[in-house]
Amino acid sequence: MKTYTYIMEKKLKIEGPPPPKPRSQKPNWDYHSEVQAFSSRLHENFSLELLKTAFVNPCYIESEHKRRQALSMNSEATALVLNANVELRSRGSDFSAGFLTDWCRASFPSLHSDGVAAVATHLSSPAVVCLVARNLGIEDLTMSGEFPVPDDVVYATYMAVIGALLESSGPERAGFFLRDFVVTQLIGKDLFDMWTVVNPMGLLLEELAQRNMAAPEPRLIRSAGASTVLPLYFVGLYSDQKLLAQGPGETIIAAEEEAARVALRELYGFTESRRPSDFSTMERWQHQPAQYVGSN
Amino acid sequence: MTSRGTASRFLQSVLRNGVGRYVGQLKRVSIVFSKNGQSSLGIREFIEEGVVDYATKNPGTVVYVTPSPCRIPRIVAEYMNGNVREKTVTSKTSKEISEILTQMANQSGLDIIRIRKPFHTDNPSIQGQWHPFTHRPPSIGPIKPRTLED
Repeated sequence: MKTYTYIMEKKLKIEGPPPPKPRSQKPNWDYHSEVQAFSSRLHENFSLELLKTAFVNPCYIESEHKRRQALSMNSEATALVLNANVELRSRGSDFSAGFLTDWCRASFPSLHSDGVAAVATHLSSPAVVCLVARNLGIEDLTMSGEFPVPDDVVYATYMAVIGALLESSGPERAGFFLRDFVVTQLIGKDLFDMWTVVNPMGLLLEELAQRNMAAPEPRLIRSAGASTVLPLYFVGLYSDQKLLAQGPGETIIAAEEEAARVALRELYGFTESRRPSDFSTMERWQHQPAQYVGSN
Repeated sequence: MTSRGTASRFLQSVLRNGVGRYVGQLKRVSIVFSKNGQSSLGIREFIEEGVVDYATKNPGTVVYVTPSPCRIPRIVAEYMNGNVREKTVTSKTSKEISEILTQMANQSGLDIIRIRKPFHTDNPSIQGQWHPFTHRPPSIGPIKPRTLED
């Protein structure tokens, strides 16, 4: 036994750890039960056929064909009868983009259209979507050509699952699904992390002109440590002799830019101290639809 | 080891669970036990009486029951964030095993290590965090303590 373990350790050291195997190839796996559990875990009524189609990717079908040809199983009895998820995927991504834009516009009515587009793009970006999909257990159930499943395949499978949900339960339930899993990723995020604005002062001038307020005048409010390594300047923006916003910075120019950003955040209603969005359960929402536009 | 020498994490949730809907984080549970060993007696009793109720109460968890010739019965739980937790249940009674399983079902899959703070917030301040310049009258001169004349 000791020689065996010794040899195995040496082999591990030389060859490195074994390549990862998909969960479906490890013991204890029953696909049908897993798909059923997936659907009930998320409190959704998926139609199981649509859901199983949603998990099948074209790369899997190709790799299965190649494998069967390599094993020379070309007879019709062993033909592969699987539909890929291409249609569901396109429907899912269209619906998701539309829903996210509508939700952003409804929750932040004064947000600039560029900002709405930026937030919706961020929420449908591969980074956020893959994080959500991997933590929902979609990776185990995907049938893809390679393992570990690449990000674009996870993205495609997730969109196909949204498409399947749309087909099975309708746009309202799919909307609640997106709200509960994707929109919650906005919590704790700052507007300008998602939306790169190169000239906040110019944008602020536009916004104030739209609301018929005077142009902002920057004034130095506080300064500390001007001759040290870490100076601090507070610049306040005054419109019509009334303070709009003040912002800190290491140089006066940086402080002015930060003040413009703070002013924009307040104008668009995207501050850290805003009222949180309405994530109440579906039954409560159905009884009180008037409170849907949650933030002030 | 001290808490500095061992791993620690902040209080967090998987994918903001609970803000929207609550999703049970346990994906699948595999019960590995032996058909004849005396250490798996509790597990065998649990499988006779309680496992079906447990599976119906947690419809989002797949329960696999694997008899195999092993000396130590185990429960392997896999969570949504990918963590796998194994727990040995040698010589435990059926009631204890059902308690362990409900506890595993209620956990999120995050590591069970020291939690640095028992609280977490994304909006730490509503009215604006205090900094030395709040409530101070603006002055361009050097910062001095206030005198009674001001």
